[in-house]
Amino acid sequence: MKAQSTVVRHSIGRPGFGAKLPSIIITFILIILACAVVFPLLIPWFSVFKTQLEFAYNPWTLPKQIHWDNFKEAWVAIDIGRGLLNTLYVCLGAVACTVPSAAMAGYIFARYRNRVTEVVFYLVMAGYFVPVQMCLIPLYQLVGSLGISDTLPSLFLPMTAFGIPFWTIIYRSFFTSLPGELAEAARIDGAGHFATFFRVMLPLARPATVLAILMVFMGSWNDYLLGLILLNNQKLFTMQLRVAQFLNAYGVDRMPRYSAALIIASAPTLILYIIGHRWIIQGTLAGALKA
Amino acid sequence: MINNLSPMKMGAQQEKKKKRDVSSIIFQVLFLLPAAAFLLVFMFYPIEETFRLSLMRYTGLGQPAYIGLQNYSRLLADQKFITALFNVLRLAFWSVVIQIPLAFFIAFSLITYRNRITGPLRVVYYLASVMPSAITAMLGRLIFAPRYGVVATLSETLNWQWLANIDFLGDVKLAFWSIFAVATWAYTGFNIVYLMANIEQIPVEIKEASMLDGANRWQYARHIALPMVSYPILIIAVTSIVGSLKFFDLPYLLTNGGPGYATTTLVIHLYQQGFVNWQYGRAAAIGVVIFLLSLFFAVTLFTMQKRKGEFV
Repeated sequence: MKAQSTVVRHSIGRPGFGAKLPSIIITFILIILACAVVFPLLIPWFSVFKTQLEFAYNPWTLPKQIHWDNFKEAWVAIDIGRGLLNTLYVCLGAVACTVPSAAMAGYIFARYRNRVTEVVFYLVMAGYFVPVQMCLIPLYQLVGSLGISDTLPSLFLPMTAFGIPFWTIIYRSFFTSLPGELAEAARIDGAGHFATFFRVMLPLARPATVLAILMVFMGSWNDYLLGLILLNNQKLFTMQLRVAQFLNAYGVDRMPRYSAALIIASAPTLILYIIGHRWIIQGTLAGALKA
Repeated sequence: MINNLSPMKMGAQQEKKKKRDVSSIIFQVLFLLPAAAFLLVFMFYPIEETFRLSLMRYTGLGQPAYIGLQNYSRLLADQKFITALFNVLRLAFWSVVIQIPLAFFIAFSLITYRNRITGPLRVVYYLASVMPSAITAMLGRLIFAPRYGVVATLSETLNWQWLANIDFLGDVKLAFWSIFAVATWAYTGFNIVYLMANIEQIPVEIKEASMLDGANRWQYARHIALPMVSYPILIIAVTSIVGSLKFFDLPYLLTNGGPGYATTTLVIHLYQQGFVNWQYGRAAAIGVVIFLLSLFFAVTLFTMQKRKGEFV
């Protein structure tokens, strides 16, 4: 919020000095570039209501008649209902495992600093730099030997492990920034370690928790690679796997149906973004700025 | 924790303190346990296994056989691996050279020329960055597919046959650039948002002082804003390079690494060695290479930053 006020002041350049013309040109360029971002998401609407024949002749005109069949076909081809349920399960699993673990660990690293916790913290931080892509094969073998191969938990448990370092760092810096007197006061009032954390510190860390839930949810929502490797059973396929499957199996030969699939598949992300873009951007920055 | 104690109370106090220490240690262990368990089982153990498997010949059946560094020496002779490495480094290079300046230009302009139209654009730019890569791949196909894609149909309508006949994803030379274009679409949003947040933190006084000294906006951008966000730029450069090393979804879905090896990345090669050819040992060796390279780039760039004090 503080940044907001700086921005306004920033934009007041020197008055005069031929600021008018460059301003118009730059605004124009920025709009063109923004269109380039949005354009691909709008194109499907040109063809989605057409039949294949109509599209083949007039790809760029408005549809003569509104056909809803493409949506129906795409919905069935992707089996979106099931995909959404699976993805939701994975996302909630990842959130439920990542956020509490990271909050508790971050709290210890912030408030119980000693030689041991410092060393452990450096180990956790090292985990932040490990790309999950490097150990796909051991992960595949591991879920096999744990007896959870081809299940949805096999997907969100590794996600959790690779998400914990980042959120632990965030929680640590958040708890460090909270005044220590609060914890001391609670301690003096007779609260034990647990009560101090759950009744006093965790509620104070709500902003961090909200961001963590949101970002972990979105991260697992977007996953493709882990699902590709760890899931074989088509019934368990997540949204992204189904989208990819559609892309490979049906291709663009029937563009209207392809457009419908694209619109349906991108809808959840779009809706989430329209509602929560402020928090999403803030969450991205919270992580990036503190690192 | 600092207590001023009279010697008399010392004994009882120490007893109490000891008790508190024990409960504190139990608390610490309990609270670190979940995170530690997840990391040990699903991260550190797989890392160790990757290193171990990279020294083995193992196809998933029977016992792995120790073969020393043979997997690595094989990689050096593997044309596909060399091409994948080259592709990934090329991608990293162009990401830094094109995407970051583009992001800086947009970020700086959005701040400097803020008005009612450009104000909300930040949200629009970031939109592409939240799209799942499978959907981004679908969009890429929508644009670049031969015959039915947007470019093809649009140029057909305009009667530009030469353009309509280009196969963007199937041409050996163009495939890389088509994917690079899609990647730019997908990843520039983050860089813009991140740079904007950092440019906004530059104190206004500095800007005013430079304006008083007669600098125009672009001189201010080049000589003051750019050096002042050099550290954030370094961070997104490292992020882009490491991201290139990990690049998989888009080329895998759009071209499956083809045509030939034109868009094969390290992770695509790893995936194919491991899950198509069942060469676990060789795939693990590629994993180790990815790990070491990302470590190398991160460490080099950050020490460079430290020594020079300022980047750019």
